[in-house]
Amino acid sequence: MNRRQRRALGETVVSGPSFLWLLALFAIPTAALLVTSLRPADIYGGVAPGWTFANYLKLLSPERLGVVWRTVWISAVATIICVTVAVPVAYRVALCGPRLRRWLLLLLIAPFWTNFLIRVFAWKIVLGPDGWFRLALLKLGIIDPGTMLLYNKYTTLMVIVYTYLPFAIMPLFAAVEKFDFSLLEAARDLGAGRSGAFFKVFVPGVSKGIAAAALMVFIPALGSYVIPDMVGGVNSQMIGNLIADCVFVGRDIPAAAAWASLLVMMVVGFVGLRLTLVTLGGVSLKTRGADR
Amino acid sequence: MTGFLNIEGVTKRYGEIKALDDVTLEVSKGKIFSLLGPSGCGKTTLLRICAGFEDPDAGRVILDGKDITHLPPNRRPVNTVFQNYALFPHMSVRDNIAFGPRTAGRGKREVDSKVDYYLDLSQMRSHADKKPRELSGGQRQRVAIARALINEPQLLLLDEPLAALDLKLRQRMLVELDDIHDRTGTTFLFVTHDQGEAMGLSDTVAVLNHGRVEQVGTPSEIYEAPRTGFVAAFIGDTNFLDGVVVGKVDDEYSRVRVDSLGRDDLLVFNDRPLSLGEEIFLSVRPEKIGVSSRPPAPNPKVTVMVGEVEEVIYLGSFTKFWVRVGAQRLSVQKQHDIFILEDKPPSWNDKVWLSLHADYGYILDNYQKADEALLPLSGKGAAPGGAVL
Amino acid sequence: MRHNSRLTWYATVGTLLFFYLPMLVVVLNSFNPSRYGGSWEGGLTCRWYLALCHDHNLASALFNTAVIGVGATLVSVVLGTLAAFALHLFQDKLQAAHGAMVYALLGMPDILIGISLLLLFLSIGLRLGLFTVFLAHVTFCVSYVAITVGARLQSFEFSTIEAARDLGAGWPRVVRRVILPQIAPAMVAGGLLAFTISIDDFVITFFVTGPASTTLPVYLYSLMKHGSPVLINALSTIFLVVTFVIVTLVNKLTERKA
Repeated sequence: MNRRQRRALGETVVSGPSFLWLLALFAIPTAALLVTSLRPADIYGGVAPGWTFANYLKLLSPERLGVVWRTVWISAVATIICVTVAVPVAYRVALCGPRLRRWLLLLLIAPFWTNFLIRVFAWKIVLGPDGWFRLALLKLGIIDPGTMLLYNKYTTLMVIVYTYLPFAIMPLFAAVEKFDFSLLEAARDLGAGRSGAFFKVFVPGVSKGIAAAALMVFIPALGSYVIPDMVGGVNSQMIGNLIADCVFVGRDIPAAAAWASLLVMMVVGFVGLRLTLVTLGGVSLKTRGADR
Repeated sequence: MTGFLNIEGVTKRYGEIKALDDVTLEVSKGKIFSLLGPSGCGKTTLLRICAGFEDPDAGRVILDGKDITHLPPNRRPVNTVFQNYALFPHMSVRDNIAFGPRTAGRGKREVDSKVDYYLDLSQMRSHADKKPRELSGGQRQRVAIARALINEPQLLLLDEPLAALDLKLRQRMLVELDDIHDRTGTTFLFVTHDQGEAMGLSDTVAVLNHGRVEQVGTPSEIYEAPRTGFVAAFIGDTNFLDGVVVGKVDDEYSRVRVDSLGRDDLLVFNDRPLSLGEEIFLSVRPEKIGVSSRPPAPNPKVTVMVGEVEEVIYLGSFTKFWVRVGAQRLSVQKQHDIFILEDKPPSWNDKVWLSLHADYGYILDNYQKADEALLPLSGKGAAPGGAVL
Repeated sequence: MRHNSRLTWYATVGTLLFFYLPMLVVVLNSFNPSRYGGSWEGGLTCRWYLALCHDHNLASALFNTAVIGVGATLVSVVLGTLAAFALHLFQDKLQAAHGAMVYALLGMPDILIGISLLLLFLSIGLRLGLFTVFLAHVTFCVSYVAITVGARLQSFEFSTIEAARDLGAGWPRVVRRVILPQIAPAMVAGGLLAFTISIDDFVITFFVTGPASTTLPVYLYSLMKHGSPVLINALSTIFLVVTFVIVTLVNKLTERKA
C-alpha cells in the first residue's frame, strides 16, 4: 500500500540518524565492553584474542571485593540520607507561596548547575589540612593534630550526598507538586495525627517520586570516580577508581572492562529490580482494588 | 451513481475489526449531509477517508465525477473543520485563515481581500490579530470554518462541529452554521453522535452502526419511519411493541396481538404488506400516545388501553409519563398545549387511559433486543436521558 | 501541621547552608594572597584572577570547550529532535529499542560511557582528540534533547499537521511553517541543556580526550591534582558567578512566560 510504504519511509528517515548514532556509539560499545571483559590481556595491556574468565576471577580477592562492598555501602547510605533529607525539603518548598517557591527552588537547584568538580574541590579546601574547618576543630580540641578529615570513606560519603542531593530533590519536588494535599486534610478529618498523616498518606502518595529520587542518587553514586579520587584517598576507592586505574595506571584494558561490566550488571540489576517491584506493586494494587 | 459526492462500497479494517463495511452513500450538491451514530460506528473513519487521511481497503470516493480515493489530502478540493479546530497556535487569526490561499500561491492583494471577506463572514474582523489561545470556543470554531471555506472547497467536512461547545452556544452555532451554508452554497458533510445536531442541521441523515449504514433519509423520515430498532432507539425515545398479526381489518389495517400489553386487538397500519401469524416489531414514539385521566371519545382507528402511572417527570413544556400496561412499561409524552388551572394532571399510581392511533406506530424491518439498551429509560428505573431539543 | 513545619524548615535551611558554605569558602579564598590557602595574611588580592588571564593553557581549554559545546549542541539538537518525533509518532518495536537506548544512556554512570567509548575508539584506531570528544558529547547530549523535545510533543497538537495538509501544504511547508515554529522553544531549551551538560562534562571527556584537546573541566581537574589551589579558587569563583547569573536569567525569562 502506498500509504504504508510512505509511512515506513518516514519512520526510517526520522528515526534513522539518532538510532544509528546511538547504536554505534552507545549500544555496541557497551556490548563490546562485556565482550572485552572476557578476553585476556596482551603484554601491552591491550586486548588479546581468545576467551577467559581470568579478569573476573581477579575480582574475587578480598581487597577487590572490599571495594565492591564499599561502593554499594556508600551508595546505599548516601541514597538513604539524600531521600530522607529531600522529602521534608520538597514538602516545605511545595507548601510555600509561588514567589518564595521559585526562589527556593532556584537556590536548591543552582548547585546542580555549577561545575561538579568545583563543588567537590570546595570540600577539599574546607576539609583540607589547612582548611578553616579543620583548624577550628583543632583549636577547639575536638581532634588531634594528626587527624586528617579528608581521605576516608565518610568524607567520600558526605561529598557524594552533597553532590547528588539536588538530584534527589528534583524528582521528589515534581511528585510533591502533583500530590493532592486535601488527602492530608481528609486523613486528619478521619482522626490521624500529624505524623500519622505524614507517614501513612503523604509518603505513600509521593512514593513514585521517592523511588525516582533513590534511583537518581544510587546509580550515579555507584559509578563515582572523581569524588573518591579527590577526597577519598587510597583507602576508600570505589569501583570507578579501579576502572580508571586499570586504564591509566595499571594498563590492563580487559581488567578495566571486567570492572566496568560488573558495574553495568549492578546498574542493570538494580534498575531491573525496581521495575519488577513497580510492576509487582502495580499488580498487587490492582488485585486489591485500590487505584493508586 | 448520481450524487455530487459518491462513496462506493468503502470498507476499512483495523486488524480484525471492520470499521467500515461496504458503505455506499450519495451526497447531493450544496446540501448538508450528516453521518450520525454512536462512537465506534465508523463515521469519523469515513470522514477521514473523504479528507484523505486514511485509505479505504476497498471502495472508492468520487467527487464531482473525479476519483479522489487515493489523492493525498493536500491535493483534494476538500477541506476539513477539525473537532478540536486544530488552529495554528503560533499564528494570528488572520494568518490562520490566510494559510490556504498563501499555500496555493495567491498574490498578496488577493489573499488579503479574501481574508477580509471571510473575517467578516465569520464576524471575527475585530479579533483578526489575536492568537487562538485568546479566543473563546465559539470564536475558534468560526476561525476554523473560515480557514476551511476560504479555499472554496467543493466539499466541506466537519468533525463533530458542536461537540466542544456548551448547550446555549451549541444552539446558536447551529443557526450560524446553517446561515454560512446558505451563503456559500458549499456541500457540507459532517459527523456527529448528537442527534440534535444531525436533525437540526441536515438535509439528509445517514445513521451508522458498527461500520454499516442503518438508514439514510431526511430527519423526519429517520424519526417517524425508522427502518431498524437501532435507528428508532438511537434517535429520541420510543416504545417497542413485539406482536403477532392475528387478523386483517381491511387492506390498510391489521389487528395485532401484543402479549406484553395483554391485548390481542391492537390496530396497526400496514406500512408494508403483512401476513397472518407474522411477528412484527412496532416502534411507537411517546408523543404519539395520548394520555388522559378519563376515558377518551371512541375512534375506530384508535386502540385504547388502561394503565397505571409509575413515573412522572414534569419538564415545563411537556411531561413524560411511564405507564404500566400489562407487563410492559410504556413511555408517554404529553405536550402542555392547554393549561387549565383546575385540571389535575395524572400522578403516581393514577389510572390513565392511553390512546394509540393505528397510523402512528411504525413497523420496523429489523429489531434486536439489544437495541432497547439505547433507550433513555430501558425499563429499569434509570434517570431519563436523551437529547432534548 | 505545625510540628512538621518547623522540622521541614530546618531541613530546608540546613540543606541550603550545606550547599552554599563550601562554595562561599572557595569564593573567599580566591582573594586570599597566601599561596596555599589556610592562613590569611596580607588582606585581599586579585592577583590570582590576573594570573588566570595570562594562562595560555586555560585559554586554549576555554576555546576547545566552546567549540565542542557549540558543535555538539548543534548536532545533538538535530538528532535529538528527530529522535523525539520518532519515539512519539511510531510506537513499534524499533522505537521501543530506540527509546531504550535513549533512556539507558541517561541512566548510565559517566564512567561506563567513558570507558566504552574509549574502547571503541581504540579498537577502530581513531586518534583521541577533539573529534573523539565531540563524538562523545553528541552521544550523551542526544538523550537530553530527545527528552526535552519529547516532553513538548506530549502536548503537541498533531491535528495541526493534518490541518495544514488539508489546507494544501506539502510536507516541506508543513515542517517549516507548522511543526518547527511550535517546537522551536523546546528545541532551544534542549539545546541550552545540551550545551550546559557539554561544557560541564568531565569524566567522559577525561576518558576520550587526547593530549592537545583539553577542555575546561579537564584542565580544572589537572590544576586540582597538580596545580596551585589558589588559581583554582579564582577560576571556580568565576564559574560560580557565571553559572548563578545564567540560572537567574533563565529563571526570570521562564517566569515572564508563565
